[in-house]
Amino acid sequence: MGSLVELKERQAPVDVHETTDMALLVRTSSDNLAGWDRQKIVDAMVREADVPDDVAERISLDVEETIVRAGIKFVTAPLIRELVDAKLIECGLEDARKKHTRLGVPLYDVDQMILHPNKENANVPHGPEATNLTLAEGIKKEYALLKVFTADVGDAHMRGDIHLHDLGFIDRPYCSGQSLEYIKRFGLSLPNSLSIAKPARQPEVLLAHMVKFAAALQSHFAGAIGWDAVNLFFAPYLEGRSDREVKQLAQMLIYEFSQQAVARGGQAIFTDINLYWEVPKHFENVPAIGPGGEFTGKTYGEYEKEAQRFVWALFDVYKEGDGTGRPFFFPKPLVHITEKLFRTEGWQDFLHHICDVASEKGTTYFVFDRGETAKISECCRLSFKLNASDIEDAKSPWKMRFSALQNVTVNLPRIGYRSKGNDTALFNSLRAMMELAVKAHLQKKYFIESLLALGDSGPLALLTMATDGAPYLRMHRASYLIGMVGLNELVKIHTGEGLQESKRAIKFGLKVISEMSLLCKKYSEMHDMHFVLEQTPAESTAYRFAKLDLRDYRDHAQNFVRGDVATGHIYYTNSTCLPVGSSENPIERVRTEGLFHPLIEAGSITHIWLGESKPAKESLANFVIKVFRETQNDQIAFSPEFTNCLACGRTVRGLQPACPHCGSDKVDGITRITGYFTKISSWNKGKIGELRERNKNKGFFAK
Amino acid sequence: MRTVKIFIKAGCSRCPQAKQAGAALKDEGFSVAEFDVGTTDGLAEGAYYSVQATPTVIIEDQDETIIGDFRGDVPPMQTLRDMLTGS
Ligand SMILES: [Zn+2]
Repeated sequence: MGSLVELKERQAPVDVHETTDMALLVRTSSDNLAGWDRQKIVDAMVREADVPDDVAERISLDVEETIVRAGIKFVTAPLIRELVDAKLIECGLEDARKKHTRLGVPLYDVDQMILHPNKENANVPHGPEATNLTLAEGIKKEYALLKVFTADVGDAHMRGDIHLHDLGFIDRPYCSGQSLEYIKRFGLSLPNSLSIAKPARQPEVLLAHMVKFAAALQSHFAGAIGWDAVNLFFAPYLEGRSDREVKQLAQMLIYEFSQQAVARGGQAIFTDINLYWEVPKHFENVPAIGPGGEFTGKTYGEYEKEAQRFVWALFDVYKEGDGTGRPFFFPKPLVHITEKLFRTEGWQDFLHHICDVASEKGTTYFVFDRGETAKISECCRLSFKLNASDIEDAKSPWKMRFSALQNVTVNLPRIGYRSKGNDTALFNSLRAMMELAVKAHLQKKYFIESLLALGDSGPLALLTMATDGAPYLRMHRASYLIGMVGLNELVKIHTGEGLQESKRAIKFGLKVISEMSLLCKKYSEMHDMHFVLEQTPAESTAYRFAKLDLRDYRDHAQNFVRGDVATGHIYYTNSTCLPVGSSENPIERVRTEGLFHPLIEAGSITHIWLGESKPAKESLANFVIKVFRETQNDQIAFSPEFTNCLACGRTVRGLQPACPHCGSDKVDGITRITGYFTKISSWNKGKIGELRERNKNKGFFAK
Repeated sequence: MRTVKIFIKAGCSRCPQAKQAGAALKDEGFSVAEFDVGTTDGLAEGAYYSVQATPTVIIEDQDETIIGDFRGDVPPMQTLRDMLTGS
């Protein structure tokens, strides 16, 4: 930071107009002491904010006089700047003031940050590295709001009409989907790195490349990194390896990605690995790449058995959990359930295996790819259906790398407060918010493009490398996400009934999301970009919107925010979900929530909370099949709860106030916060409020 | 009274046939509702019935319980008449 600047008085100033006589020492932000030089104030105004010379001259004199008259003993450089800014405003030069502004953090805030954990993102542990991350994010966030976005967009974010996600990572795209084929074929050759690795010959080396590359990508993307068909792409390296060796590789992969907490800001790399029991249809006839980056002469269709051995072993590891029996938080395994799965030998055993893990540890995500449409998962829950050009890409799978540039979430309940029961007002207000979201995307796109244009000497050099002839980040294929929070509350505000209360309410909810979906289509055509709806995970947004609405629309909002208004444990229901506490049985929840999923192109999920119950794997398997066959739901996950004892290290089922083994009350509760598992002690107040209300589906599943 | 709901979309090749069937049934005095899934209301209603293909024809009773559905397909007129009259 280096922003604390000391001004020492050497001798009393004689003539304020003679700056050279101002015998003050200014410690500048570049860590040295400089004498008072009024001209520097003038220069800064002219250089940074295009203030006319004569005005700058006058203002500098005013400021100098103020400092002298106040007899200030200790001055900070920020103070000088603030004094100048105040004068700029007095002169009506608001735009110049904005350009001349200083980004920084109050002393008190830094103090708090260093001492106390950051609860905005439960995935960030507390520590010096995390503090660095928080501070840097703070400055970049201010920068984004002042420099990247126009005032109307920035203000809408500040007010809480919309939420611009990851503003602290303004100079990176949001999330990305990767193909192992890229590093298999080209090895690991990153810009600015000291050595270049040739394509791997051994699976262990391939894994090492994958981990390194993931770390490099993490520092270029704000959010999740997803990997497609991981077990299949490893398969050509596993021929001739014993089951023991395959299991060891599985262990290495999971531990490597779960222990990446040494990475950026102490934050684990948010990794998704996509897995299949069958060989997905679009890869069946694709020439396989094997050791040394060479084509093996076989197609991926011929590696089914090896791919199956690996995915089985991965779930063996997931079932054991980490050293203390806790579930692995990362990498998240996304298993694709397709028609072809049910035609592939051994599917029942495999389904039972992954359901066993789902029951035991909750780790498994079930992604439903219905019909014969091929689908791949990008990042977060972003998945998309492959069109003709993608199927063409699939023949050279290293090309299959995708990204979402940004995520903007709309505060739906606020639209409800504003439109006062009037349909026309509601849809007009919705359109206005969507337009703001689109505007925000255009501005971020413009900014990222300006960084990419700097090429290999720019900050995003890694994303411009063109090993296969095209830049690594394929901008023309980027998606722009528009999310929503609190559909349930909006519907309740507008119609008097929550989503789970009537068919009328569901239909109205569908109408809102249909409108959003069609608007995305319209804007996509208009701007030749790919705008898609997504279910925002809203780990902190659901809390932030509720808090801001309670402040700005109190009389109205206090009846609709969820949780406990008195203690501030408040939140809105995520995206298009039913309230977490509503009492219908889980298949009904999956079915009803699934009605919305086909409208949300970037993917959706239904969470089934299990509490402390541990259903039989057969029971969960039947449930999964039923969901695949009888609903439109995109993805489900089962979430059990655990207590990990810090004293004796054991992990038990359910959220317990004390350890049943040793009696210690030094325990961590663990369950899924939104899209991942984490310690409850790190959750924000909104999520704690939600946890208390979750329906744990007691007694529904056979044990 | 039973209702037939017909889901169509611009540019879908078999939709005109579904529209014709709907118009004919209306002339015969049946309750017919047509939804264009390219519109907000049509898309919302389509989502409610998990309509994945057009044309889709759904017959319901007065409590909006589905009696029959034909997805991506238009059934013969007589089949529709029989379902609508409950014979
Ligand atoms: Zn214990």
